[in-house]
Amino acid sequence: MSMIKTENIHKYFGENHVLNGVDLEIAKSEVVCVVGPSGSGKSTLLRCLNRLERITSGKIYIEGKLIEHRESDKNILKIDPKEVAKMCSELGMVFQRFNLFPHKTALENVTIAQETVKKTSKEIAEKIGLDLLEKVGMAEKANEYPSRLSGGQQQRVAIARALAMEPKIMLFDEPTSALDPELVGGVLEIMKQLALDGMTMMVVTHEMGFAREVGSRLIFMDEGAIIEEGTPDEVFMNPKNDRTRDFFKSIL
Amino acid sequence: MSGQFASERWINFFTSYGNEMLQAFLRTLSISIIALVLALVLSIVFGVMSMSKNGLARAISRVYVEFFQNMPLLILVFVCYNLFPLINITLEPFAIGCIIIGLYHGAYIAEVVRSGIMSINKGQFEAAYSQGFTYLETMRYIILPQMLTIVLPPTAVQAANLVKNTSVLAMIAGHEIMYAANSYGYSTLNYGPPLVTAGILYFIICFPISTWAKKLERKRDIALEGRGGER
Repeated sequence: MSMIKTENIHKYFGENHVLNGVDLEIAKSEVVCVVGPSGSGKSTLLRCLNRLERITSGKIYIEGKLIEHRESDKNILKIDPKEVAKMCSELGMVFQRFNLFPHKTALENVTIAQETVKKTSKEIAEKIGLDLLEKVGMAEKANEYPSRLSGGQQQRVAIARALAMEPKIMLFDEPTSALDPELVGGVLEIMKQLALDGMTMMVVTHEMGFAREVGSRLIFMDEGAIIEEGTPDEVFMNPKNDRTRDFFKSIL
Repeated sequence: MSGQFASERWINFFTSYGNEMLQAFLRTLSISIIALVLALVLSIVFGVMSMSKNGLARAISRVYVEFFQNMPLLILVFVCYNLFPLINITLEPFAIGCIIIGLYHGAYIAEVVRSGIMSINKGQFEAAYSQGFTYLETMRYIILPQMLTIVLPPTAVQAANLVKNTSVLAMIAGHEIMYAANSYGYSTLNYGPPLVTAGILYFIICFPISTWAKKLERKRDIALEGRGGER
């Protein structure tokens, strides 16, 4: 059974056709890296999966369950909002600009959703939170506010925050693009560890090194569609499509 | 000093009417506090509604704000005092003051709350939603606490305006500062001392609030600067 499956997803922003019939399937423990020029729709695809954007038409399945079916911006599938929230919380999201809560300490950032959404007790949430901060190497900064952390440190806390909801799938939206070069490695290392632990991941990235080392599949998108996919080495070393070839040439 | 401000006029005013002025001062204070609490509650409710995804909630909030922002306070007070009894709703001037002034300033502060919510980075909403927060949970735990420092200064300015606006209750025998000053002047034809005193009393309440607002504003600007580009 696939963890994520989309069928013929279309997304319009006004006149702009951002996603043009995307069919995607991600199996358990797969690490799917998505690359493509800016404006190709890769971030939008990611954001449609957890409903930060609503698709114009198409179907989305999470763990084999249909959670979204729309045509012409109208819901075809009627579904209990609680069910949707539960499904969406199985998708952890890491943002390009971290989006940590600035009025909360690193630890509180990791515990607040557990306490608010899952109703976990404060003690247990803190224990889980400290374990997760330890995992991303941020235990010492548990009581610091985000403004006192570097970009790399903030992103690591953000990963711990997403993991706190025990997601089955992690979505990464250009997680290292806003980081100074020397901070990228630490974040990628944590993502690699997650992949080794068997987490299902979908990563929008420009880090070809990461894609080739950790990714189990590489997807190249352009103009809202998947142009080419395969194992990272296959796509990277031997691109079949001209647009893919041009893109790789342009980023190297 | 002679004329309206002759010294015996002051002496007469304070000896015969000092106690009444004090009572009126306390009444202005209590109306202001109750109206302010009401205004704050309403402003949060309607401010949060104004940014909701629900179209009906947004519409209700819009109607409320537009109605009270575009209607003179005095008309609202007169309608409550003169027309409501005709449909068997009789309210004390004190209650009318608290409710109408609370509603009136609630609309202004709701706009402050709305602009405060808009000033928060969209990424904060997305981070909360992606963790399974509902809209109200997002507001309660993530957005409202962050915008407190932003909205506090303009809210304090509104609080000072609210205090001054309680003076319209003089028109319906509100027994607050303005009414007391005016009725003393009316019955004694001694207007100078009560009006000056009334002005001073309003100033005593409002000046600290405005000063506090300015201080908050300075603190806020420093804090926002400190947060820098990460917002």
